[in-house]
Amino acid sequence: MPFSAYLNGKRDDCAALVQALSAHFRYVSVLGTDVHAAVIRADRKSSAVQDGRGECGFVVKMHDGQSFFEYSLDDISGDPEALAARILQAVQVDARLQGRMISAEVLKDEPLRQDFVREVDFADFSDEELLGVCRELSETLLKKDAHVLNAIAMVQPYLVSKLFVTQNRQLTQHYGWANGYLMVVYNDGRMVQARHVEGADQLREIIANLKAHTDSVIDLARHLTRATPIEPGVYDVITDSSISGLIAHEAFGHGVEMDQFVKDRALAKQFMGQYVASPITNMHDGAAATHSVASYFFDDDGVLAHDTQIIRDGILVAGLSDLASAAQLGTAPTGNGRRDSYKRKAYSRMTNTFFESGKDKLEDMIASVKHGYMLFETNNGMEDPKNWQIQCTAEYGIEIVDGKLTDHYVSPVVMSGSVPELLKSISMVSDGFQVIGSGMCGKGYKEWVRVSDGGPNLKVRVKLG
Amino acid sequence: MIDIKRLLESNPAVDGWRITEKATASYELFFVHKELETVRATDTVDTGVTVYVDHDGKKGDSTFAVYQSMTEADIKKKIDAAVRRARLVFNEPYTLPQGGTLEAALPTNMAEEEPKALACRIADAVFAADTLTGGSINACEIFLYRDTLHVTNSRGVDKTQRMHRVMIEAIPTYTTDKESVELYEDHRFTSFDPARVTAEIAARMQEVKDRSLAVKPQTPMTVHVVLRPQEIRELLCNLADDARYAAVYSHANLHKLGDDLQPGGDGDKLTLTLKGILPGCERSSYFDADGLALRDTCLIRNGVVESYYGSSRFGQYLGIQEPSGDLPSCLSVAPGTLREAEIKSAPYLECASLSGLQVDLYNDYIGGEIRLAYLWDGQKKTPVTGISMSGKLSEALSSLRLSEKTTVEGAYEGPEKMLLRNMAVL
Repeated sequence: MPFSAYLNGKRDDCAALVQALSAHFRYVSVLGTDVHAAVIRADRKSSAVQDGRGECGFVVKMHDGQSFFEYSLDDISGDPEALAARILQAVQVDARLQGRMISAEVLKDEPLRQDFVREVDFADFSDEELLGVCRELSETLLKKDAHVLNAIAMVQPYLVSKLFVTQNRQLTQHYGWANGYLMVVYNDGRMVQARHVEGADQLREIIANLKAHTDSVIDLARHLTRATPIEPGVYDVITDSSISGLIAHEAFGHGVEMDQFVKDRALAKQFMGQYVASPITNMHDGAAATHSVASYFFDDDGVLAHDTQIIRDGILVAGLSDLASAAQLGTAPTGNGRRDSYKRKAYSRMTNTFFESGKDKLEDMIASVKHGYMLFETNNGMEDPKNWQIQCTAEYGIEIVDGKLTDHYVSPVVMSGSVPELLKSISMVSDGFQVIGSGMCGKGYKEWVRVSDGGPNLKVRVKLG
Repeated sequence: MIDIKRLLESNPAVDGWRITEKATASYELFFVHKELETVRATDTVDTGVTVYVDHDGKKGDSTFAVYQSMTEADIKKKIDAAVRRARLVFNEPYTLPQGGTLEAALPTNMAEEEPKALACRIADAVFAADTLTGGSINACEIFLYRDTLHVTNSRGVDKTQRMHRVMIEAIPTYTTDKESVELYEDHRFTSFDPARVTAEIAARMQEVKDRSLAVKPQTPMTVHVVLRPQEIRELLCNLADDARYAAVYSHANLHKLGDDLQPGGDGDKLTLTLKGILPGCERSSYFDADGLALRDTCLIRNGVVESYYGSSRFGQYLGIQEPSGDLPSCLSVAPGTLREAEIKSAPYLECASLSGLQVDLYNDYIGGEIRLAYLWDGQKKTPVTGISMSGKLSEALSSLRLSEKTTVEGAYEGPEKMLLRNMAVL
């Protein structure tokens, strides 16, 4: 599938608007987005085939040598001078605030003209085929066990086209991603829900993996009906890749979003160059750092994708920035300027965030635990970049006794505590590696973007409750 | 403007349709400390079209987005595609809500003022709270929205609702020689009361100072935990979600009609009502996504599940004569009997800021990481941090107490405090 024909036809309109606004601002960019999403879903009694959360519109970013101004609109057609006048009027500031504007460096507008494409296989599958797959998966799950009350199978592909235009820069990108979900509602006297999630840019791969996990999701449901609450305490813990990623994301990912540095909202600003984790810890973020859901070619500020090493051998070495925060801090932007949609502001945001693999074998890590838990599957997490407290919730854990995984499941498991204590407690890092590309991340309680996180298994000591 | 209704009605394969249009104009200010970093404005429209097709004794539907960029030919193609998609869907038959016109505006005192002037006055109200020595508001984002929601369908529904709403995100911070701490705070309202905004943020400024003084208490301990409105609402939203018609229809709900959520308990019995409109609440609405008028519904009365709620379609599936409509999560809770003196009669931990309350109905769990709480030991209140609390949800519900004194905050009206007995704190 090609880059959006609609956006392609808007290149000249964008350039004309940039030109018109350049008479008033020292930097002007236009980002055009055309994102199409679909939801195909089946359960025991109902089904759906419809558009998902897409978007199509434009956001204009302007900088006058002091502050930043943005205007979001659905269509950019028409007289560019008239549109520029409308935008100028809309972003006016009350006279009483005009003396309170920040002063930030003028943004660099380095010349580049490039078109990026990553092919997907979505066009190979019709709606009918995908719904057929979902129905088959749902029916398979329902047939596996009489205790399955309902079984939901869902596939959500989405295709992104973005156009970025400044005076010197014209970039386009086109790529896709898809997620697949299985969920069963199971009741054998106690009702539970068990899930399995997949993410890839090839539907063929997602469908195959969902089909391969029907037994495991039923098995998980059976175990969850027997899960007990965990006895609150501090334990040795082995994380699966999903929980390792959750720690990376909540513990330090949010803490190094550099728009928080500008606002003095991140303790990490004072810890650059210092040990923040055990010396066997290495952590990255970047759209170019691995291939997953947030692997775009350029960010929503038109900055090319990076691979940023955040922690090197336990030392905090770099943060993640968007264009505006980098301008205020006098640093180079890292390609982390992301928007919830063209209607929202760009902030410094994570992309694909993960720990690097180590040298330990998972079986040795489990064998090293006298009494503790192995934790699985992210439920949710909450950051506290200023005070370095975290809360991460795993869907379930399995008790480890005398170096062996038992059949005792605990659920849910909330991991909380101090970020440095947690990261400095990392004593083993496995040689495995997986990044899970199905996450959504908010900033505070809004501004949702798609992210992945993951890494190897970690051995940590942490408070569970 | 393309006439989508005409295109839908001229397509013989379409048996029914719904168009939802939400136009939003916003004006937004982003402060770094007290300086203005970014000024934003938006002018956008979201249009969603749902096509319904009756086939094979079943009903199919499919929804698509209409973008301003689309031509009439594009929309015709989208309608045809939606018809094809709807024919793949074999849902049990149901009827769309019929008739009803409305042109309404939710009450506000912000309709007349120019956004940039109003935003400036709101900023004044926020920063008027920034008077505490050692304290500061390190970041503040102010969003002014004017929404117009218009729902029409093929059976004569034609309803419009206008709303003015504001969201403020302010980050009170307190800095000492040793450390700097913050609390997250957001305020949402549909009528602007400068004194209330200043007072609420000033109270948060005082709490962030307390966070800087907070200590980690001796743990583990078992103690009564007091929740405030935000967390009370979070807890009760989980119970409300479980009562959706759609959850019942798909066998995903845990609690059935007549179930006693507080068996054998000696606490205050819970009475929970979902409302369409709460004063000052941005979630308020006169109608749901189908244009169905919302009917306030008591979900839990005296601790017993009394009603379910939800959309017209799933209501019909359950045989409900007059579905409530898909009510927003505006919660109204009846007051209890708990007085301040009684709260203070035993040690307790009052949570002022949690990372997020974790509630898991299926696993009978309630808990959360506490960023700031006040520990009352019978004689004095001490700010504490670095702890988490947890317990069995069923036990917490059975014995909970609700304050006699009530408040209205955001999407919640009800007791100011909820006391959960004997929670484990680590």
